[in-house]
Amino acid sequence: MNEVETPRPPTPAGSSHDREVEQALYREVHGLFAGLRVVAVAALLGIFYGLPWLPWDGRQAVLFDLPARKFYIFGLTFWPQDFLLLAFLLIIAALSLFFFTALAGRLWCGYACPQTVWTEVFLWLEHLIEGDRQKQIKLDKSPHSFRKFRIKATKHAVWIIFSAFTGFTFVAYFTPATELAGKVASLNLGPWEAFWLIFYGFATYGNAGWLREQVCLYMCPYARFQSAMFDDDTLVVSYDEKRGEPRGPRRVETDHRARGLGDCINCTLCVQVCPTGIDIRDGLQYQCISCSACIDACNDVMDKMSYPRGLIRYTTQNAIQGKKTRVLRPRIIIYGIILLIFTGVFAYLIATRIPLQLDVIRDRNQLYQEKQGQIENVYTLKVLNMDDHPHQYHISVNGEEIEHMRLIADQNPVAVNAGEVLVVPVRVRADEEHLEHRISRIRFIISDVHNPDLEVSESARFLGPMPCLNPISQKSADGISSRTCG
Amino acid sequence: MQIWDSTGSIPKPQRIVAVLWLSFLMAGIATGIFFSTIDPMELKYCVSFPEVNRTEAYSIGFFLFWLLTASSSLLAVFFTYPSEGEKNTGGSSRNGK
Repeated sequence: MNEVETPRPPTPAGSSHDREVEQALYREVHGLFAGLRVVAVAALLGIFYGLPWLPWDGRQAVLFDLPARKFYIFGLTFWPQDFLLLAFLLIIAALSLFFFTALAGRLWCGYACPQTVWTEVFLWLEHLIEGDRQKQIKLDKSPHSFRKFRIKATKHAVWIIFSAFTGFTFVAYFTPATELAGKVASLNLGPWEAFWLIFYGFATYGNAGWLREQVCLYMCPYARFQSAMFDDDTLVVSYDEKRGEPRGPRRVETDHRARGLGDCINCTLCVQVCPTGIDIRDGLQYQCISCSACIDACNDVMDKMSYPRGLIRYTTQNAIQGKKTRVLRPRIIIYGIILLIFTGVFAYLIATRIPLQLDVIRDRNQLYQEKQGQIENVYTLKVLNMDDHPHQYHISVNGEEIEHMRLIADQNPVAVNAGEVLVVPVRVRADEEHLEHRISRIRFIISDVHNPDLEVSESARFLGPMPCLNPISQKSADGISSRTCG
Repeated sequence: MQIWDSTGSIPKPQRIVAVLWLSFLMAGIATGIFFSTIDPMELKYCVSFPEVNRTEAYSIGFFLFWLLTASSSLLAVFFTYPSEGEKNTGGSSRNGK
């Protein structure tokens, strides 16, 4: 083939239906970046669909057990008390997004966003069933027939089955996958499980099958504010206007420079492959999700024309304008440092996390009792073993302001099973003469019998009678001194 | 509805998104924060509520949050349109533009 196809430029004044078709059925591309995206899609979907089936210590490795208020992530069990960790994780995720956006533009959108990933799968299924772009356009324009109905019905059936499986997988992160599979097989789903399965499945079908790039244009908050992270040194997909213009069709053997033409042959393939339907040659636009489909398509054309690749390429605004691109700049350094700090603190919190918690509740019925000449307070201790195996804990009390306190418990040490809360009623006694205030601060300490590092403490209040303000020392005739209140 | 259609410059899908989708995201976050600090099983001692288990309580909580956030979004979208009076005098004249 000597003459490269130079299709007509797109007609912007086409009917709205035509435009919709043009946008919805974008052309398949092959190339380096398309390959990278396939790898990303396969890896991410592999993790998403595979993880619920991975066992760990006799349970599902990753399970968000909402009814029991426990999150299992591999060897760790998280409780609502660990909410701070989740908050840190979300902050780290947001900061990473900022950092990588400033560095390399919309990497997230092009390779990792669930919307991109699932749309890619839906397009692939569509391609398998309906054929390539030309066939799809022809089919859409053809009149209603049994054949058209059959092909369309097959496509939607396959999409729906895939979506239903996606919904199932989503719910399997909350209800153990094997248990859920049994429930589905026996048509015995709980109402909420059924609801979320259908809801998530329907969302997948709607977003990846029908809405596609509309999600990026209208629904995505990130698409709206990502430009705030951009500067002239950010990696973007860009058309080299200096090299490409003036654009125009020509034969392969033509010396286009002599004819005053740039390298762009105006084949409009870059527009045809664009999932958001923009023309990258018009400059950087917020609709561009940096999927780099146009790069692959254009490189193909450049190869056919024997021109150097990279008329459309990953580059920076500065590089396009012939200036120097700086990777290390204040924006990157600041985002990077903040990201490192948060990641470091998060790692520290995880590493030093003690899977044990103590709550102390003072008996509200009575302030204090006098027992055998001592003041007694009653407490209820709640010992929460957040570890995934049983422990024995020793309970002790430390009077921060009172000397010689005594702890009375029915059993000590106590055994607490994995993931259970043990309620332990205890009594604490102190001599009245050691009480310097009506309210004193004491501290309960629980520590693992075998591992003293596993220790937590919780402070509480100890109430007693009003202490002597001015004790009078008296000496009786036989020389024994005693103190009474004055 | 009439006011929106006659003066609205935002396309309808975007209005639907602004009301339903963004409030959905926020309701999700609110549900997460609320139920990680408060156990619905402890809540039932404080308020008289029909017998529900935790999963049901979470779902109901989510929809209540969504209702709230969506109402707020709906009002916000509604308020981005000029009032009848401003519309008649040529829109944003009060802003000095």
